[in-house]
Amino acid sequence: MTPPWVHRVAFPVALFLLGLLALTSLAIGDMHLSPVRIFSGLLHRDELAATILWNIRLPRMLVSMMVGAALASSGLVMQAYFRNSLASPGLLGVSSGGAAGAVVMIGLGWASASIFVLPVAAILGAMISTTVVIMLARRGASTERLLLAGVALNALLGAVTSYVLANFTLSYERNARILFWMLGGLEDRTWEHVLMASPIILAGALLWPLGRPMDLLSLGAREAQSLGVDIKRLRRSMLALSTVLTALATAVAGTVGFVGLIVPHLLRLLVGPEHKRLVPLTLIGGAAFVLACDLISRSAGGLRVGIVTSLIGGPFFIWLLRRQA
Amino acid sequence: MTSLTVTNASVSGRIADVGLSLAPGMLAGLVGPNGSGKSTLLQVAAGLLPATGGVSWSGREVNEILIPERGRLTAWVPQEARFEFGFSVRSVVAQGRYARGDDECGVDEALRQLDLTSLAHRPVNRLSGGEKQRVMLARALVTEAPLQLWDEPLAPLDPRHALEVLTHARRLTRAGTTVLFSLHDLRAAYCLDFVVVLHQGRLRAAGPPEKVLTPELLMEVFGVRAKQSLGLTLELP
Repeated sequence: MTPPWVHRVAFPVALFLLGLLALTSLAIGDMHLSPVRIFSGLLHRDELAATILWNIRLPRMLVSMMVGAALASSGLVMQAYFRNSLASPGLLGVSSGGAAGAVVMIGLGWASASIFVLPVAAILGAMISTTVVIMLARRGASTERLLLAGVALNALLGAVTSYVLANFTLSYERNARILFWMLGGLEDRTWEHVLMASPIILAGALLWPLGRPMDLLSLGAREAQSLGVDIKRLRRSMLALSTVLTALATAVAGTVGFVGLIVPHLLRLLVGPEHKRLVPLTLIGGAAFVLACDLISRSAGGLRVGIVTSLIGGPFFIWLLRRQA
Repeated sequence: MTSLTVTNASVSGRIADVGLSLAPGMLAGLVGPNGSGKSTLLQVAAGLLPATGGVSWSGREVNEILIPERGRLTAWVPQEARFEFGFSVRSVVAQGRYARGDDECGVDEALRQLDLTSLAHRPVNRLSGGEKQRVMLARALVTEAPLQLWDEPLAPLDPRHALEVLTHARRLTRAGTTVLFSLHDLRAAYCLDFVVVLHQGRLRAAGPPEKVLTPELLMEVFGVRAKQSLGLTLELP
């Protein structure tokens, strides 16, 4: 079992790490900024630094953090819902659903009509995926069944995306946007994207009170209901929140895989399975993880963040499967 | 006043027209061959499985009781607990206090009663079948619910722990709690106040064990011949 001191230090350490990564994210780039310059830039005392920070690095940092928090907490909720620690928005095809929704809108040329088109399309796509996964893999389903449902759905949604790419006569710019969604990235994120992703903060806050009932649910739905948990209501809230969280993250950063699998899993190993600790730590840990991956992607000459998370997540997933076996 | 009343309960393909009523403080057993509908009836009685007919607890229709309140009125123990995550034994037992504001009242006492104190910090997913069952029973005990519904609580337990569970059940009923549990050990069923016999999803008989568990009924329902003999008798020291 986790020693009590780990519980005591986990939250402050996670916050400190997140702060450090956030500062690094503001500091590095084509032009390195010292902490002093960051401070004066944020206060508009140094105009060059202010331009770099307010126009480029700050929105990118905020989007990274929100995307990470959203995907990680969405994974945590799905794992409690399916009572399976391998469930995550990427593997189950919920992210692909969101991406397919966004790609179809770009393909049809409707994406530029309003900043709400992409998030709404992503939410609809993710909702359809969630519904299909629930139909294919019942709750408490075996890992095999759950993953096969995800494989089937990911293949189907990949076909939708490819169809849009291959059969719509698109401008180079639209093709590039679609590719961006498929690979996942945080380049050129603006305050518009920050605004688009901002409901993530509200959804994250709504997760907080679900922590305790989620503890009970992860030991069985009937068992939880017999102890006084309104299972129908809880499950509806969990599905709605995890779908919206994934969809919003996908709408601003495309499909960034494995975050929802890696972060909750590592934190569970570290602090145990109780959600009152896991929910806040997953939000912070997810933000820190994507921020770190974005830093790697920026240092590695513009490697897409989705590629970085997949390069880490792929081997991690194989390790998990071996561990489960 | 009855503690539990089930009227004409039916669940398609599982149980049909089952009626049953238990007085407060009764220690009752549910017997029947595999697939006779024992688990289904317990879940219907716990308000966890929709069924036609009616279920009421202390005269109140279950459907009219809000779910959080139901958690204070009944406790249900499943036949087999499946734990995916490594919650500690103590934290799982403490979940029994969810409907009472998570106050942890009586948790340590329940751990002691079910011989789990030394396992309190162990992850539940690494326990044996019998240990898991004791965790679920301890969780049911801490609810302090006046109606306890346990699905085959004794099956995975060793003889000493099984006897201890029966002793705890008896102690609960003395304090006014009603305990209904399914079991296969017909000799244990003879020690109970009341026995309900299910056969092919229907109620075959109900009443005091010495009146209900006749050789004819045992032959008809279980296909076994009953012989009175002085075999091995086990009791707690």
